[in-house]
Amino acid sequence: MAEAAVARETLFALRETIARLEGRPIPALAAAAHETLADKPARQAAGIAKSLPEQTGFLPIGVGELDTALQGGLPLDALTEIRSLGLRDAGAASGFALALAARLHAQASDTVAAKSPVLWIGDTVATMEAGLPYAIGISDFGLEPQAFLQASPRKLDDALWVAEAALGSAAFAVVILEVRGNPARFGLTESRRLALRAKAAGRPLFLLRQGGEEEASSALFRFSVEPAPAPARPLPDGSVLGGSIGHPAFRLTLEKSRNPAPLSITLEWNAHDRRFAPVLDTQRPAFPGAHAAHSGADLPASADRPHRAQALGSVLAFDRQA
Amino acid sequence: MRLTALNERAEMIGLKQGQGVAEAKAICPELDVIEEDPAADRKLLEAIADWCDRYTPLVAIDGKDGLFLDITGCAHLFGGEEALLEDILIRISRLGFDVRGAISSAPGLSWAVARFDESRIVPPEAMEEALASLPVACLRLGEETVAALRKMGLKQVGDLLSAPRAPLARRFGAQLLLRLDQAVGLVEEPISPRRPVAQLSAERRLAEPVQAEEDILQLARQLAESLKLGLEARGIGGRSFELLLFRVDGEVFRIAAGASQPLREPSRIASLFAERFGAIHDDLDVGYGFEIIRLNVLQHAPFDAMQGDFVGEDRQEGSLAAFVDRVAARLGPDCLQGFELRQSHIPERAVRPIPAMGLLASRRRTGQEDAGSGFFRSERPLRLFRMPELVETIAAEVPEGPPRQFRWRRVMHRVSRAEGPERLSAEWWVEEKEEPVRDYFQIEDEEGHRFWLFRKGLYGRGGTTPDWYMHGVFA
Repeated sequence: MAEAAVARETLFALRETIARLEGRPIPALAAAAHETLADKPARQAAGIAKSLPEQTGFLPIGVGELDTALQGGLPLDALTEIRSLGLRDAGAASGFALALAARLHAQASDTVAAKSPVLWIGDTVATMEAGLPYAIGISDFGLEPQAFLQASPRKLDDALWVAEAALGSAAFAVVILEVRGNPARFGLTESRRLALRAKAAGRPLFLLRQGGEEEASSALFRFSVEPAPAPARPLPDGSVLGGSIGHPAFRLTLEKSRNPAPLSITLEWNAHDRRFAPVLDTQRPAFPGAHAAHSGADLPASADRPHRAQALGSVLAFDRQA
Repeated sequence: MRLTALNERAEMIGLKQGQGVAEAKAICPELDVIEEDPAADRKLLEAIADWCDRYTPLVAIDGKDGLFLDITGCAHLFGGEEALLEDILIRISRLGFDVRGAISSAPGLSWAVARFDESRIVPPEAMEEALASLPVACLRLGEETVAALRKMGLKQVGDLLSAPRAPLARRFGAQLLLRLDQAVGLVEEPISPRRPVAQLSAERRLAEPVQAEEDILQLARQLAESLKLGLEARGIGGRSFELLLFRVDGEVFRIAAGASQPLREPSRIASLFAERFGAIHDDLDVGYGFEIIRLNVLQHAPFDAMQGDFVGEDRQEGSLAAFVDRVAARLGPDCLQGFELRQSHIPERAVRPIPAMGLLASRRRTGQEDAGSGFFRSERPLRLFRMPELVETIAAEVPEGPPRQFRWRRVMHRVSRAEGPERLSAEWWVEEKEEPVRDYFQIEDEEGHRFWLFRKGLYGRGGTTPDWYMHGVFA
């Protein structure tokens, strides 16, 4: 009996040590917190979790299932990796990262963090292939363009330096570091260093890996983001406008977390409310015939030639006999 | 080919400037002739001028081989005028130059005495006397004027001083009298310094040269410390700083660093230079060390002192400025950029990147208005390509529909939905030549990628099919 107690005591001590090493809350306390969090979304079924308690140190995504898997939300003092499978998906991955940043601004609407800008550190290669962040698009997306700074260092070493300095200064609400693929000079050591820096400063760092493989890093969580067809635009009467492109949607996979099973979910981003919402399969637009909501005439396609000889001069009336 | 300059031995042999090379070789067959390199000479003179900065910030270059130093108010720092002149002459001749110098109250007189007399100091009361016995060539006149004066028998300046002025002016022009008056100090002659004069500067002369970077930074910090009082007294802070490092062997390094906000804090000024050192590490050849270190404030701005509140929000802004400065010092001011929105409907023109340093300064003065919302527009993409990329469309609806399929970066995308067109005409009040209109479409392919495509031009104009371009990607 006593032996078992001693063994348990040792086990707890070891767990605490491990937790401290990993920078997690002490297991006994975390377990209690986890339980309260876990049953809340269950009660609300699948849907928008109305509002989780706004915890400091966490950024809740606002979707119950995901927040449960993240144990409350994204930690605000750590490195989070967001990965796209190919550079073609760069738009979706940057969208998800910026949406998180916008959400962070919205969450911290009256604190210091709300006034702090977002820093985007763009790798030269990634910027060349995926494009420059566009301020007006960013403001359409729910972020203040005034609170957006972009760094474009020439070399990866410089980019890492900027990221480290930015985290150290604690002047930014979030730092987004974009890299292309899996560069050899940005390995486990560097990511560990950045993660520690983020922890010390209490500011989040999003590592945006465009077109990269999974690799060991110090990120607590890693998402992979793929684009998903956007739901159609809703109309005031509750129906949707066929063939239109509504809020952007992403297919997220939580590849790395403390839960062993990877979680896949499709979310849409409402830039106006700065809120994520899960997209159900029934909402997916299925439209074999409807392909365009443009104002043009639906005429047969033709390539490389005008479809009709152009009339000369102003045409007053068509000749009926012709 | 002619001789333009001679060393002492050549002068002893009896060669002269302007002599043909063939003739000189005939006189002295073992003569070494080196081709003149005016650019290199100029560079050398500039380097010496830099070195002379140690005596006064007002150094001007004079012709091919001279320097003017305005030592007003500087002489006492070197133990008086004699000591100063001796110091300059000894140091420059130790560097291996043949040097002459003179100190007087007028630049013209110093020029004349240095070149046509021995190196000495002319007291203000003996100016005319010193000039009288010198040849007229010492007045910096054109060759023809000098020759004409000689022909007239006016060989020394004393002859001119005693001659009546009106006939001289009539005969030789106003230039002669101007030079004469400048030489005797009747007309003020400004010398224009090579570099902008620092508003404030502080320097340290070291008995033992320093080599280590930390020591230099420590000294820079001490100099900033001593500048702080001056900045406070004037109610200003520095926006642009320059650190001058005088190496023992005469080389001078200038390291400039800017700040986004007026600075006074010595530690922040020193940290700017710490970043600059990090960036230019390889270019800074320490050699045998630096003997003089000077910190200049080149630009300044009013310093609005702000009191931090209890929450520490001011510290927040301060740390952002500090970060911006660090990045600018290490990676250049263009590395970190913010955005300025402008009234334009052309997507690439509606946003202008501006360096974050300028952004912080300008935002402080004026609030920014939202310029992008002046007209109705559809959503804009999250990322925009620097240059629109040409895509190959397979089937596009004529005249104004989106393509059904297109090939971009060698991948075929099948369009599932499209919104548009949004027609943007060129800004004829900006463009030089007429640009075709662009029809923008927001397009989603079957995998869910969302793109911003545009068709440049209309169908059936000019006989060619318009091209399609990829301009950006949506989230």
